[in-house]
Amino acid sequence: MKQQGKDLGLCLCTVCRQLNGSDDSHCSRCGSELHVRDYSSLQKSWALLITAAILLVPANLYPITVLTNQGKVRHDTIFSGIIHLVQSDMFPIAIIVFIASILVPWVKIIGLATYLCAISFNLPISKKKLMVGFHIIEWIGRWSMLDLFVISLTVALVNMGQLLDAKPAPAATAFALVILLTQLAAKVLDTRLLWDRLENQDDTN
Amino acid sequence: MHENTAENSVILCRSCDLAIRKRALPTGVRALCPRCNTALYDTPYCSVNGMLALCITALVFYFPANFFPVLEIHFLGSIRTTTVFQGAFAVFDQGYWVVGIAVLAAAVVGPGLLILSILIQLLIVKWGLDSPLGRHSLKQLLKFQGLLSQLTMLEIYVISFLVSSFQLSDFSDIYFGMGTFCFTMLFLVTLFLQREYDIEHMWGLLMQERH
Ligand SMILES: [Zn+2]
Ligand SMILES: [Zn+2]
Repeated sequence: MKQQGKDLGLCLCTVCRQLNGSDDSHCSRCGSELHVRDYSSLQKSWALLITAAILLVPANLYPITVLTNQGKVRHDTIFSGIIHLVQSDMFPIAIIVFIASILVPWVKIIGLATYLCAISFNLPISKKKLMVGFHIIEWIGRWSMLDLFVISLTVALVNMGQLLDAKPAPAATAFALVILLTQLAAKVLDTRLLWDRLENQDDTN
Repeated sequence: MHENTAENSVILCRSCDLAIRKRALPTGVRALCPRCNTALYDTPYCSVNGMLALCITALVFYFPANFFPVLEIHFLGSIRTTTVFQGAFAVFDQGYWVVGIAVLAAAVVGPGLLILSILIQLLIVKWGLDSPLGRHSLKQLLKFQGLLSQLTMLEIYVISFLVSSFQLSDFSDIYFGMGTFCFTMLFLVTLFLQREYDIEHMWGLLMQERH
């Protein structure tokens, strides 16, 4: 049985996952509006993703923290902070921060862009692989929050004037928005579109 | 109605809309979509009383976790401490309110609302299913359940204690406070609570008496 709900006259509620008839306008269980397919979600997802990609530039280029130690002021970007961790022999911590703050945002944006391109331009990429990638992106996305948690704890703990002081810097806001926008871009997308567009091609690939 | 017969045996994959025949599963097994590997359903193992106990335990840990010191810095003879709550407000104070709101939502408000929401749901299931107000509240809470569980990032915050303490150990002596213990316990209890909780089962309880 390789039938889609659409062909059977059935529609899944995206809020509570109740099965409804595709003629119904509202879910019989939770009352949410029903859409057999949400075509506008593709545009929304693109818009959110492009904004996130633009913000990723200042998030990486500008300093994310300012540290004052014995009168010396050091501006750290995400990357220079990681370099500093490596130099201080904290290699495992450096890897955790690298994955959460650099790898995850980039993988997310490139992965989501690939996914959206595959739907928008009908690219011949394996649907199964795209979907596996999408699940990974959904799951790892939250881990970028790690850096913001660390910054908030550090800023609250370390404020002793010229001797030792930590403050957030502009990249922190850009970085927070990148996390928010990429999470939303994945959330609003109706993934059922992928399987419709390529349905006439080989279904098994 | 042909849909009624289909409704009981067929389910749709939420990611790819494939129609799949629903089969009974052994406990602890999760059905995956054969086409896109999305998790479809598993056997519910909800125990209302067990979840209620976990909820109350989580609430007991919630306040010390957020308002007891999590990290202590010993620097030139003086001791400074911070709590999870102060952390969010420190960045807020510096003018970084987007960051402050994100931290507050993911570490303090999100988990708090999640636990409270499940607690109210359980109380309604136990004593309030007959009243229209109870049913209405339960329906609204269930609709927001997905958002609240996405907002809750306790596991990431626990790792951030470790990362912060290692980063700062470069400058001075760092110690964990009572809050760290409570926060880790809050994370573990919430983890078990979310495992036990099954949203499909809760929807089922709400719909049961109408038929
Ligand atoms: Zn619904
Ligand atoms: Zn599927």
